[in-house]
Amino acid sequence: MTAFPLPVAAAHAHAESLGLPLAHGVGSRHDLPLSPFYAYAGAFTALLVSFLALGLLWSSSRFRGDLAGHPLPAPLQRVADAPATRAALRLLGAAAALLFVLHLLLGPDDPDRNPAPGALYVLLWVGLVPASLLLGPVWRLLNPLRAVHALRPPRHPRPLPAALGIRPAAVGLLLFTWLELVAPDNASTTTLLTALAVHTAVQLVGAARHGDRWFAHADPFEVYSSLLARLSPLGRRADGRLVLRSPFDSLDSTPQTPGLVATVCVLLGSTAYDGLSDNPRWITTLQTSPLGPTATATLGLLAAVALAAACYGLCAGALRLTNRELTTPLTSFAHSLLPIALGYLVAHYFSLFVTEGPRTVIMAAGTDNALAPAPPLGPGGLATLQVAAIVTGHVLGVVAAHDRSVRLFPPDRAVAGQLPLFALMIAYTLGGIGLLIA
Amino acid sequence: MTRPPGVTPLLSLTVVLAAALTLTGCGGRATTHHKPGTTHQEATGSSGTLLPARDETGHRLRELPAADAPTVRAEARPDPEGGWNVHLAVERFRFTPESTGGAALPGRGHARLLVDGRETARMYGPWGYVPPGAHTLTVRLHADDHTVWAVSGSPVQTTVRLDGTPGTPATSPAPGASATPGAPATPATPGASVAPVPTSPPPADAGRTVTLTITGKTVEPPLSRIELKKGERLTLRVTADRADTVHVHGYDRELRLSPGTPATLTLLADRTGLFEVETHESGLVLTQLVVR
Repeated sequence: MTAFPLPVAAAHAHAESLGLPLAHGVGSRHDLPLSPFYAYAGAFTALLVSFLALGLLWSSSRFRGDLAGHPLPAPLQRVADAPATRAALRLLGAAAALLFVLHLLLGPDDPDRNPAPGALYVLLWVGLVPASLLLGPVWRLLNPLRAVHALRPPRHPRPLPAALGIRPAAVGLLLFTWLELVAPDNASTTTLLTALAVHTAVQLVGAARHGDRWFAHADPFEVYSSLLARLSPLGRRADGRLVLRSPFDSLDSTPQTPGLVATVCVLLGSTAYDGLSDNPRWITTLQTSPLGPTATATLGLLAAVALAAACYGLCAGALRLTNRELTTPLTSFAHSLLPIALGYLVAHYFSLFVTEGPRTVIMAAGTDNALAPAPPLGPGGLATLQVAAIVTGHVLGVVAAHDRSVRLFPPDRAVAGQLPLFALMIAYTLGGIGLLIA
Repeated sequence: MTRPPGVTPLLSLTVVLAAALTLTGCGGRATTHHKPGTTHQEATGSSGTLLPARDETGHRLRELPAADAPTVRAEARPDPEGGWNVHLAVERFRFTPESTGGAALPGRGHARLLVDGRETARMYGPWGYVPPGAHTLTVRLHADDHTVWAVSGSPVQTTVRLDGTPGTPATSPAPGASATPGAPATPATPGASVAPVPTSPPPADAGRTVTLTITGKTVEPPLSRIELKKGERLTLRVTADRADTVHVHGYDRELRLSPGTPATLTLLADRTGLFEVETHESGLVLTQLVVR
């Protein structure tokens, strides 16, 4: 969340209007570091639950993926699936995007007076988390690029290479988190317009070649929203019915597409880097590094993602060693990391969302000098929420991984087989809590 | 000859008004040969007794019986941007900016603020402001003719300590006022209440001072966190080797730096969270404030 020093030349140009690029682009208040009490309580709970789960959870798989769920009343589904609803959502997304672009083009180059940076970094990026958790993959319905694409769909779209999976989206997410956490001047309209132009061009060219299925694989926000929607109680059954179901079933139905691991590792690593970037030692490293702050911060972000991926790779290797029949150790358990990533996201972004979100809306409504509302939780309440989010993510991950492992492993090896996963999750969780102390 | 109708009533009204003004003596501005507020010379007035004693700014004291004398109490509340908002509670007293410079009339006049013994401002109403850095504030009531209202030979005044601890009830009167031998050292007469009432919860202490020195791209002491309790005060004293601006995020306070000259900024930590203190030009994070 650190604001990164600007290149000096740029700072000289118009120091007044710049402000410094804040991490997350907007917001000047960071969450307090956790006090040790909360950290220990969280870590202890995570460990306890992990070992209890090992011994007490069921021994044959219970989750039925996208076969499960209680159908919603038919009229509700008809309304949700009605072309009019879809068109209205598409228009809503397009209108919001138009407003965003107009603010970027015509608004002042100052995140304190222009709602566009907040709309991107808070309302879209953070707001997609609660929206997807409640309503499912909403960005697919709102995505304004799909609206643009629908104006001139290609006549003969080429199929996507099967090996591509959601890897383009993983790259897109990494680039976005770089923009959010590392890029100098990341709330200026120039930077945002450039990023928007690049994103739009890549997506539209890809979609022009491959048709609108390109978005589901390559649009970072769509993939992000779809993955988070795997933890939503609202889902769609294999037969197309809109259902209410346990998020575990939803999670179990996560398609094991190539790039899933990479995407989850980007989410985990970038959020971890976000926590690290508040640490005074890391800031000192950035400020004294001979490479310059931006290059160093980029390396830090890449290292955090690489570390998350390396831990996962180690774990997958260990899983493969314990069970030779497991042919796809990497993707078989990737879904169980989604709740952990969600826990990280909630812990890091909750207070940004509840303070800067309303402020952005107030600003967009035309209020001059909008003040961010006071955080609704005191330091203790916020710390509890952060630890609870991380531990809940951990517990959900452990349960999801347990169910998958009793399905994949022979019964006699099911408990031992999932030990590497438990070690990995404990490492992620303790690491996540540790970064909140830092 | 007939007068135009309406002239007679007008005339008589004028006469009555003039008579009323003359009789009551309070309708218009009291006449002096000074324009209001332009002189320190006391105009003559017949209220109370003019004492030979003077306060440290050279104004004579005007003695009133305790029962008629005005009283003043002051409270100082820390301002979020530093400094203090001062509120005066007066009895038997009215702020009369419109007649300043006129004759002394009981219950009228203005107040003067003495910060650390030096007069800094007048108050023509109950609210005022004292910039940061002050330690004691004395509020003294003056009559319109600039004489000091006094009881038992001591000025009607109150003193508030501004470092957060409750004020001591009245410092000794101004040196000049001690020219009345035998007068009690404290003018704490029942009527002239001088005990300040610090109703606002004063911060726990005077606030911490953190000194930072910027040389090129290095900050001394190295980046660390400053732990503060909510409501605590912090004074940052920053010296840089070039012109720059320090920005405290979250509080949106700025401090201009000129090369080699220490600059100070005092803030009241009234928001919890982690906030960065940065320079704008060199883009350095100087320190992080942790407000719990």
